[in-house]
Amino acid sequence: MRRWWAQPLVRAVVALALPFAVPAIITLLIWALPGSPVSIICPGCDGAEGLAQRWNLDQGMVHFYTNWMGGALHGEFGNSWRVVQGVPIAELLGPAIPVTVTLILLAMVPLFLASALAGLGWIPRQLDPLFQAIGLVPAMVPALVVYAVIALRFGANMADGPESLTAKLLWGAIILGITDGALSGAIVGTRSLFDNERKQQYVVVAQLRGEGVLSNTLPNVAGALVGQMRGRMLHLLSGAVIVEAVLRIDGLGDYLWRATLMQDFGLVLAAATGFALVSGAILMLQALIEVAVAWHQRRAPVIPAPGVV
Amino acid sequence: MPRQVAILFTVISLGVLLVFAFHAPDRWTVMAEAEPYASPLVLPPFGADGRGRPLTDYAMQGAHIVSLPAVVAGLLVTFLGVVGGLVRCMGSARVESVVAGLREVVGALPRMVVILVVAILMPLEWRSLMALAIVWALLAAPGAMDEAASVAGRLGGARFVEALRAHGFSRVRIYLYHVVALNLRPVVVRQGAETLMQVVFLEVALSFLALAAGEPSFTHNEATTKSWADLLYQGYQSIAMDVPSAHALVLGLLLVAVTAVAAVSISSAARAR
Repeated sequence: MRRWWAQPLVRAVVALALPFAVPAIITLLIWALPGSPVSIICPGCDGAEGLAQRWNLDQGMVHFYTNWMGGALHGEFGNSWRVVQGVPIAELLGPAIPVTVTLILLAMVPLFLASALAGLGWIPRQLDPLFQAIGLVPAMVPALVVYAVIALRFGANMADGPESLTAKLLWGAIILGITDGALSGAIVGTRSLFDNERKQQYVVVAQLRGEGVLSNTLPNVAGALVGQMRGRMLHLLSGAVIVEAVLRIDGLGDYLWRATLMQDFGLVLAAATGFALVSGAILMLQALIEVAVAWHQRRAPVIPAPGVV
Repeated sequence: MPRQVAILFTVISLGVLLVFAFHAPDRWTVMAEAEPYASPLVLPPFGADGRGRPLTDYAMQGAHIVSLPAVVAGLLVTFLGVVGGLVRCMGSARVESVVAGLREVVGALPRMVVILVVAILMPLEWRSLMALAIVWALLAAPGAMDEAASVAGRLGGARFVEALRAHGFSRVRIYLYHVVALNLRPVVVRQGAETLMQVVFLEVALSFLALAAGEPSFTHNEATTKSWADLLYQGYQSIAMDVPSAHALVLGLLLVAVTAVAAVSISSAARAR
């Protein structure tokens, strides 16, 4: 039989490995693709030899990876090549990570609320087509409208400044939380989990004993609920790239987008590692909650079945 | 939505997109046919852009850019979903473990991050929506495989196949007809249709943001072809800068809506009776 701790342990290991694995895979890709690493990182750049030496690409992929990772572990990612030329990447991404995390946490609020209400059966099924129709809207469309409104409200110059950051974060979170199927997924996903669990025999027995349904079902669906929530957070992280880019929120997604457009490879590598770090943290949280749920389930008294020795 | 209506919507919406795609002009129209920002009444059916060129060309070329990659991505996800369901029916624990492991690794990173990393690493000559659409499909596939596997699991998995074998059905008929056509179809077709829609939205989003930044798009050559994002970009100026290009915005949003309707109606048409 599978040990209860196997799954959380695998998740914890993957969570710890993720920030190391992502730059490793990117490094592997640079050397696996046809052409020299310099031509892939900087297509059309002159002086390939000099650039290879400067970016530690001249002594093979292991040297490049260990060098970059060694620096990253000390918070040293080099300087931005093009997005904000010459500025240390750590200075750009340091404040960007909390911004993206705030955006994601705010976007989780409507999802948590909708999940809770759906789990309790307080959202009528008749409204599902409405939520699904809203979910079909791509995040970019409302984000554009919101950016136009913010530009009119704050003025074109202030719209990109810190004055409008709170408004942009709040609107960005609302957009992320309801579009691209996020809200409808939360409602339908949570409801179907609880619906399936309520059909179990133990719930009927618990009801006959006068116990509450939720207190019996919740510990058993908690693991699956957390899994769904993690999936939704990853979905939000993916959507955050578009929302941050459209609303010009200086988060990880916006830097990743601008760096990709402008071929700023150092910043892309660091931003992707930043996303891996956030994703790893979410995975670790899931593992911890799974352990807590398993611990709670094992605290329940074991009642031997009559006639079984 | 009743199935007949869904099938009708599927035919109409996909028909519109495919007719646009196949009749798209190869090169970008340089000649102006009307006044700048001519309305659809002056230059039917969709009006003109800021240089008097018909918006029909934008709609057609945009459909040409997205149609093949989106369909390929949708079919790839559908195929891999079928594989996921069949693996569950074969009852091979080892293969299932491998699929579960792949899902854990692939699912650990946000899709858009992977797409952007792939976009920057791809050699210039390989850069196209097709490559990004295939990557997007591969990232979406584990979810589709998982859902198809759980449908097959609810069906009884390997025991379902054994039971039908006992009734004298051949393996090919059981797998292709009873499992795939009758039971997996609604799930895998919906997953494929969603991926099709997501690839179209991905193209529009990437091209729009590239346009806004004044940089070349990852998905097509802007010198010769125009995306639906160009329509949204021009139309957006009617909101932000009072440019009389609202008809471009309406057309852009209409095309996005047609894509969404196509995806929903494909899913509804394929659902179980």
